[in-house]
Amino acid sequence: MKTKKSNLERNVPMNVVTYLLLAFFALLSVAPILWGLSTSLKPAAEVEKLPPVLVPSHLNFTNFYNVLFQSNFGVYFKNSIFVTLVCVVVATIIAAHAAYALTRFNIRYGKQIMFGILMTSMIPTVALLIPLYVMSVKVHLYNTSFLLVLIYTAWRAPMLTWILYGFFQKIPKEIEEAAHVDGCTKTMIFYRIVLPISQGGIVSAALLTSVYVWNDFLVQFSFTTQESLRMISVGLYNYITQYGVQWGELMAAVIISIVPIIVLFVCLQRKFVEGMAAGAVKG
Amino acid sequence: MVNTKTVRQKKNDRWLSVAFLFPIFVLIICITLIPIIIAFRTSLFETQYAETVKFVGLQNYISIFKTSEGWVRILNSIGYVLLSIVIVIPLGVGVGTLLNRKIGCRGLLRTVIILPWVLSQTVAALLWKWMLNSNFGLVTYFIEQITGVRVDFINSPGAARATVIFANVWNSFPIVLILTLAALQTIPKEIYEAARVDGAGGWRTFRSITIPMIQPTIKTAVLMESIEYFNMVTLIYVMTAGGPFDATKTISVAAFQEGFDFWHIGIGSSYSIVIFLLNIIFSIFYMKLLRSHDEA
Repeated sequence: MKTKKSNLERNVPMNVVTYLLLAFFALLSVAPILWGLSTSLKPAAEVEKLPPVLVPSHLNFTNFYNVLFQSNFGVYFKNSIFVTLVCVVVATIIAAHAAYALTRFNIRYGKQIMFGILMTSMIPTVALLIPLYVMSVKVHLYNTSFLLVLIYTAWRAPMLTWILYGFFQKIPKEIEEAAHVDGCTKTMIFYRIVLPISQGGIVSAALLTSVYVWNDFLVQFSFTTQESLRMISVGLYNYITQYGVQWGELMAAVIISIVPIIVLFVCLQRKFVEGMAAGAVKG
Repeated sequence: MVNTKTVRQKKNDRWLSVAFLFPIFVLIICITLIPIIIAFRTSLFETQYAETVKFVGLQNYISIFKTSEGWVRILNSIGYVLLSIVIVIPLGVGVGTLLNRKIGCRGLLRTVIILPWVLSQTVAALLWKWMLNSNFGLVTYFIEQITGVRVDFINSPGAARATVIFANVWNSFPIVLILTLAALQTIPKEIYEAARVDGAGGWRTFRSITIPMIQPTIKTAVLMESIEYFNMVTLIYVMTAGGPFDATKTISVAAFQEGFDFWHIGIGSSYSIVIFLLNIIFSIFYMKLLRSHDEA
């Protein structure tokens, strides 16, 4: 007990100020989310009412029922999960191979190639949307999930390669040399030894991709028009444009769409922050 | 014998390198490099839907830089980036420093404060659009109760500008906080103890030790977030669609809308190329900064 106390700061007035300020920012962070949640659980009559009803008089799940079963939102949700999973797998595989080749195959100008690959990820995506639209129409890939996977993968792979490149470099060469002496080929070393011990880096990289794809709006908005291919962000946006706004249902849809990402974040917070910060600082 | 083996090995290695790097090269060339070349070509043409009709040289660029409409968008971009940065950086550094103090519930507070950052721009825009709704918004209501004025946050030009910046700050300031927290871990505790012995108070220590020690991180965050804000479309597009009366239309929003809302892909492409070139300039600064870190 005593040791715990001495670990904490002892400046009492300063602590009070710190708590007050942090509590204020914590409230600011969650207030819109809580208000959205409250709105989504209200009976229709309480959604648009003045003065606003802070807490629903009774819990009403009509909005959630309508979003999940009376609209196409379930389809959008499934599509988002599908595209996200495929992108995570494909992008991680492609990036891991590239990163390993660049760290261990003694490629001439390997460092420069890595730098070049990373630079391409700094080309702003807004600038690529129009030409990609023109190209995809010409090659008949417009309005396909395949195109979405292609674009997300191409745009995320350079950053993932960079993260894994840093990760592979930290693996002691001795392990691989020992395996080599024992008769393992380079590919065997990669699949059987390097990949399994790099789990940490791979998880960070995978999280980074999944958040990117799950949260994207521009790519899915620009390259799909078919209901059956739509993903959640565009699904949410469509609540705004169709016959006014049903705020109760829209907020229910918002809550449904953020649950997976919040669960992921709360469970894997450290990995999350590591991966995202690495991605942010370097690109 | 030994010689032939190493030669074969080397050949094999080269094959393997090609195989391992091939997919990423194909993707980058097809989805990033070719499109930027096509964007450049398209920007020199008059267009109809997805077809280029007539070569017009730099006409599309002239229409950006020689019209007041173009300049309004450029100024909107500058204002959006600068004001967001001016708020986000002190906020991120300040709250980060507070969160670094050893207090109870620190983990919980950190999780909650970082939360907005994992939400998409679409969700951030929609949540605040509802909070600030002109009729039934929670914030709108309270502000009316306190000041007696009902502000239309989304549909009046001045307020809309402030609104998109505010939503952007809410959504993105935690990344500065995270970078700050990481940087603070690298400051040796002895420096603070020495300062305390010398009688320096909290504010004095913050200004004379913390800020100088994490300055490289702050610089990185400024540049990184500037690029991010400059290229930002989704948040503004979902919240105001560039309106009212183009008040929130930045160059990036304009590039997107010219292409996908109005089908002017020629002008849209020239906006894209302008954005691309400005990003290169930003990136050069960014790389210089990162390199100076490595040397330090």
